Amino acid sequence: MVRVGWVGRIAFFAAIVAYIALPMTAVVLYSLSTRWTSNLLPDGYTLRHWREGLTETRLQQAVLRTTWMAAATLVLDVAIVVPAVYWQRVRNPRIRILTELSAAIPFVLPFVVIAFGILRLAGRYTPELLGTPWIILLGHAAIAFPFLYWAIDGAMAAAGISRLNEAAQTCGATPVQILRHVVFPNIGAGLATGGMLVFATSFGEFALVQILVGARFENVSLYSLNLLTETSSQYEKLAVLTVVVFVILFAISVAVVALNRGQAGRFLPGVRAAEGGRSE
Amino acid sequence: MSGGVRLEGISKRFGAVRALDDVSLEVAPGELVALLGPSGCGKTTLLRSVAGLEQPDSGRILVGGKDVTGAPTRKRPIGMVFQSYALFPNMTLRGNVGFPLKVRGQAVDRIADRVEELLDLVHLTDQADRFPHQVSGGQQQRAALARALAPAPEVLLLDEPLSALDAMVRTRLRDEIRRIQQVVKITALYVTHDQAEAMAMADRVAVMNRGRMEQVAPPLELYDEPTTRFSAGFVGNRNALELPVTDGHVGFGGALRVAAPNGGSGRAVAFFRPEDVRFSANGHGHPAIVEGKMFQGSVTRLHLVVEAAGETARLYADLPSREAAPLPVGAEVRVFVDAANVRVFPVDG
Repeated sequence: MVRVGWVGRIAFFAAIVAYIALPMTAVVLYSLSTRWTSNLLPDGYTLRHWREGLTETRLQQAVLRTTWMAAATLVLDVAIVVPAVYWQRVRNPRIRILTELSAAIPFVLPFVVIAFGILRLAGRYTPELLGTPWIILLGHAAIAFPFLYWAIDGAMAAAGISRLNEAAQTCGATPVQILRHVVFPNIGAGLATGGMLVFATSFGEFALVQILVGARFENVSLYSLNLLTETSSQYEKLAVLTVVVFVILFAISVAVVALNRGQAGRFLPGVRAAEGGRSE
Repeated sequence: MSGGVRLEGISKRFGAVRALDDVSLEVAPGELVALLGPSGCGKTTLLRSVAGLEQPDSGRILVGGKDVTGAPTRKRPIGMVFQSYALFPNMTLRGNVGFPLKVRGQAVDRIADRVEELLDLVHLTDQADRFPHQVSGGQQQRAALARALAPAPEVLLLDEPLSALDAMVRTRLRDEIRRIQQVVKITALYVTHDQAEAMAMADRVAVMNRGRMEQVAPPLELYDEPTTRFSAGFVGNRNALELPVTDGHVGFGGALRVAAPNGGSGRAVAFFRPEDVRFSANGHGHPAIVEGKMFQGSVTRLHLVVEAAGETARLYADLPSREAAPLPVGAEVRVFVDAANVRVFPVDG
C-alpha cells in the first residue's frame, strides 16, 4: 500500500485551496484594481469600483430582487415538499414513483425547454401570470425542488419519520402537530442542506428569468450579462457584483453548516451516545 | 381502573396473505394479556389494529365499551410502547413524556405535575433533561412507557418492548413493566415471541398461529394443558414424537403408552416436557443413549437417542445437574414418561 507522507498531504491540500481560492482572489483583486492588463498583479489599487457599485441603485435592486426571489422560492418549496414527502412516507408510498420522476425532470430537460413549457402552459391557463415575477417564482420552485426533495427524503429516512409518526399518532397528535413538533425539528440537517441548494439555484438562475420575464425582472445573473454586453462594458463593477454574490452565498452556507454542526448524528436511528448516559 | 378490550371477529389480509383470520379476544379491565406466537403469526398486526395503525377488513374493536373500529389512532384511548422505543430525538425525556399532554392542549403546570409523577414512577427523574441519545436503551424504553401512560389511556399496547435490549436489562425491565402495569391498574396487551417473557408477565397468554387464536389461558394452564398441537409444541420446549396408533394407543417400548386422540389418522404426535422424562434404575423403561449434555445451572439438559416404533428419535431430558454429572456422553440409560404428562394430538391437528 502506498503511504502518503505529511508533505504530500500538505501539498495536496494546498493545491485544492489554490484551485478554489485563486479565481476568487483574482476577482477580488480585479474589483480593487485601477488597471490590470499586462502584469501579474494590478497596476494600482482603488476602492472606486466598490464605492460606485455598492451605491448604484440598479445593482442594489438586482441583489434585492434576486434575494427575495430565492427566499420566496425556498419558502414555497419547503411548504410543498415537506408535507408531500411526509405524506409519501407515512400514508401513500405508492406515489414515490411519481415524485421521483418529477424530481428527475429538471435534470433531464434543459432549462430553456422548461421555460418554454411554462410559457405555453401559463399562456393557456393563467395568462395573467405572464410577464410577472410570480411566473419566475413558480418556475424556480419547479426546477429547484429536486434538491430539497432528495435532502428531505434522506433526512426523513434517517430520522425514521414513519416510526415517529406512528408514535406521535398514538400520543394523540394531529397531522399538523406531527409536522410541527416531530417532522420539522427532526429533518433540520436535510432542510438546511436542501434549502441552501434551492436558494443558490434560484439565486444564480438565468435562463428562466431571461425567457419568462426578461429585463422587467433584472436579477443578478441578468444584470451581470447586461454589464458584459453594454457598450461601455464595466468589468470591474461585474467583479464587485461577483464578490458580493459570493459573500452572500458563502455567509449563508457557513451559517447553515454552523447551525447543523453535530445535529445530523443524533437523528440517525439507533444512535446511542455514551456521553453521560449511565448504563441500565 | 381502566376499561377492558373486546375484539370481535377481526380479519385482515395483506394481498394474498391472511394476517388475521376471525380473531376474537376479550381482555378484562386491569388484565395483562400477552399475545404470543412465532414471527408472522399476526400478533403485531392485531396489536396495531387495536391502535388504529392498521385497519381490519372486518370485525369490531371495543375499548372501554366503546366501538373504536373506525376511529383514527389519535382519537383512541390507547398508549403504545414500540419495539424501537420511537422517542422523539428532538425532545428531552421530559419533553417526550409531556408530548401527549401538550398536543391535547393541557395547561403547562398540569403537564409539569403529571410528567414529574410519571418520571418518578419509571425512576427517570435524574435523567429527565437528557435527550434520548444520551441515555441507555432500557432508560429510553422506560421513558417510552411513561409517555404511553401520560394521557391515562384505557389500554396500554406494548409491541415487543424488550426485544431490542440485552438479556440482563430485559429481565429487569420485564419485572418493572409488570410492576408499573399493576400499580397503574391499566389493561395491557403485550406482544412477544418470547414464551418465558409471556409466562412471567401475563395474567393470560393468547397463543397465535397463522393469524388465528390457538389458545387463550393463564400461563400455568397453558403450560400444563395445551389444547392444540401448536400450543403444545410452541410452549414449554416440549419433545414431540410422531408415533403410529396401535390398538387405540400410541407409545414406544416400555417408555410410553397413551390413548390416541379421537379422529386421529394412523399416526399421532406425543408431546411431553423434558422435565417429565424419568430415568429408571431398575431395568424398566426404554433404552436410550446419551448423545450430548448441556449444563444449564441447576439442571442439565441431556440429548437422548431412542429407537421408537422402528425409527431413531431424539429427546431432551432435564436432570438435576448433580444427578447428570456422572453420566458420560455415550452412556446407556433407561427412560420412561408418565402418561399423565403426555399430550397427544392427531398428526394433522
